[in-house]
Amino acid sequence: MHELRIATDLVEMVEGHAADAGLQAVSRVNVSFGQFIQIVPDLFEAAFREAARDTVAAGAEINIEIIAAEMRCMNCGSPYIPSGDLKGCATCGSSEIDIVHGKELFIKSIEGE
Amino acid sequence: MTMKIMIMKNILDRNQNKAGEVRAFLDERKVMMVNIISSPGAGKTTLLERTCEALAGKVRIAVIEGDVTTDRDAQRLKKYNIPIVAINTEGGCHLDSHSISKALVHFDLDSVDLIFVENVGNLICPSQFDLGETFKLAVVSTAEGDDKPAKYPMLFSQARAVILNKTDLLPYTNFRLDAFAADMASINPRITIFRTSAITGEGLQEWLAWLGKQLREFSAA
Repeated sequence: MHELRIATDLVEMVEGHAADAGLQAVSRVNVSFGQFIQIVPDLFEAAFREAARDTVAAGAEINIEIIAAEMRCMNCGSPYIPSGDLKGCATCGSSEIDIVHGKELFIKSIEGE
Repeated sequence: MTMKIMIMKNILDRNQNKAGEVRAFLDERKVMMVNIISSPGAGKTTLLERTCEALAGKVRIAVIEGDVTTDRDAQRLKKYNIPIVAINTEGGCHLDSHSISKALVHFDLDSVDLIFVENVGNLICPSQFDLGETFKLAVVSTAEGDDKPAKYPMLFSQARAVILNKTDLLPYTNFRLDAFAADMASINPRITIFRTSAITGEGLQEWLAWLGKQLREFSAA
């Protein structure tokens, strides 16, 4: 259940930014999660609703974009999409792999009035 | 009128910033911190017991115990007469840098060389939360099967070492040492692998020698 911990941190950030912008109520929160973060969207929505209770984000809709994993080989430079597990580079077999996308855990924007 | 406020910030920034503070704080005081991550029942607490026994009088150890609902692990370590702080996560699946920061207040860090953090038994969530540790140590047991590196690459790609525990059970499992080593090498070629049995004592000398080397290199840095 790391969803609840992350949702709690997210709500704190939303509260800060809403206060800075003078928003009275937040209606929508847009976030991006990488595939490797292993967030379950349904669980996260429930956790967010719970964490947002009695805050400026109470009742806000949460819009989750999942970012697919993308790797790059640090030896030959080939980009590739991992299939199933994190084995070596599909082109040269090297184990020196950099994760380009998939570890994101971003709050993109909030909407409200 | 509805307004859209662009933010683009990492939600883990709060944890990451605090972890950075913890790391700088401990570096300054020359205290090494090891974040131990494993599934429930891999043998973290038994390994800690053996390690505390072996290092008694040589290395000043403190322990932070993350436990979901009880303080049983902390109770088991009390007999070594070392400073222990138990963090009951009340159902939470991992420790975070803020709870570590609060726990550190309870130690006299001038009399501590090494802190072991026994994270909550879980291979997924703890690997995403930097605690400000010097390095992560993964522990897996032969009874869990040899596919753990391939299934939980996030942890094993970050760990400096992995302890394969319960080698005394190898004859009774279908654990393939070669498959385990090959998967590990493809995920993290730099990781050091130890094979231990905390019950028979096999492999513990190698682990302790390596740990001593990490401590010396840390305090010389």
